[in-house]
Amino acid sequence: MAKSLMIVDDSATMRKIIMRTVRMSGLEFDRTEEAGNGKEALDKLQGDPVDIVLCDINMPEMSGSEMVKEARKLDCCKETKIVMVSTESGQDMIDGLMADGANGYITKPFTPEKFQEKLTPLMN
Amino acid sequence: MLDQLTLSDVVIDAAREVFETMIFMDIETPSDAQPAVTGQAITGSIHFKSKSDSDLVIDGKSMLGSITFKGMLEGCLTISVGQSCAECIAKNMLGMEPDEPLAINDVCDAIGEVSNMVMGSIKTRIQDIYTDIEVSIPSVVTGCEMHNSLGENVSKVVASAWLDEQEAIEFTFLYREAAS
Ligand SMILES: [Mg+2]
Repeated sequence: MAKSLMIVDDSATMRKIIMRTVRMSGLEFDRTEEAGNGKEALDKLQGDPVDIVLCDINMPEMSGSEMVKEARKLDCCKETKIVMVSTESGQDMIDGLMADGANGYITKPFTPEKFQEKLTPLMN
Repeated sequence: MLDQLTLSDVVIDAAREVFETMIFMDIETPSDAQPAVTGQAITGSIHFKSKSDSDLVIDGKSMLGSITFKGMLEGCLTISVGQSCAECIAKNMLGMEPDEPLAINDVCDAIGEVSNMVMGSIKTRIQDIYTDIEVSIPSVVTGCEMHNSLGENVSKVVASAWLDEQEAIEFTFLYREAAS
């Protein structure tokens, strides 16, 4: 079944790069959304939830870590898989995010193979 | 504490990783280069000399991407590139054709993200020693003959690299250990 995707990053360039990398990875989505920070993402998700969210951490307004916590309180995001995409790579940080409800973690810089490896198990 | 030679390698390795995986460009540092420690005793810098053995000069309008960090180690990483090189980097990152038009905002955004990723990669490489580094959101400015400084007791690592054997990029890593 076709899936939907949201890319959350404060850099428009990075959103485009992530989109391109997702395409190169061979994963297919029938709908893709974008948001520039956690708050904008939550607003959009409440109107129109998606299956998978790729989410940056360091963003103005609302960070990715706050967004994960808030999303897990919302009914519309119960089934949504949230995968963090960030330059942050500390194990404590990653453990904390997973405990807060993130489903995966991809570090920047990344490759299409990495997206395929991390996202495929979440798409079934 | 990491010595400057090690940090210089860290900066170049981090930059190389980002340029190879995300920008699809190879970074060259002359293999025969002997890092030469220059500058004052306190703020000594390490500079890779170019093949022609002349100092790196970024002519004309350039773009400076910078990102600060704090924790056990505090300071700033900057990436300085000429305008045309910055455009070339942005187009490669976005998978655009060389002659496609690109807005200046997109170029700034791309250079900011490069700073962010190189700093992230540096942080990953030194986090066994400096466990608590927090990184800011990157900022980008354009101008001519830009320099950065962080005041007293700051050490500086300068690593230069070339794209396509002509476009110069300079990475400056200014840092000091936080007073405990
Ligand atoms: Mg960001």
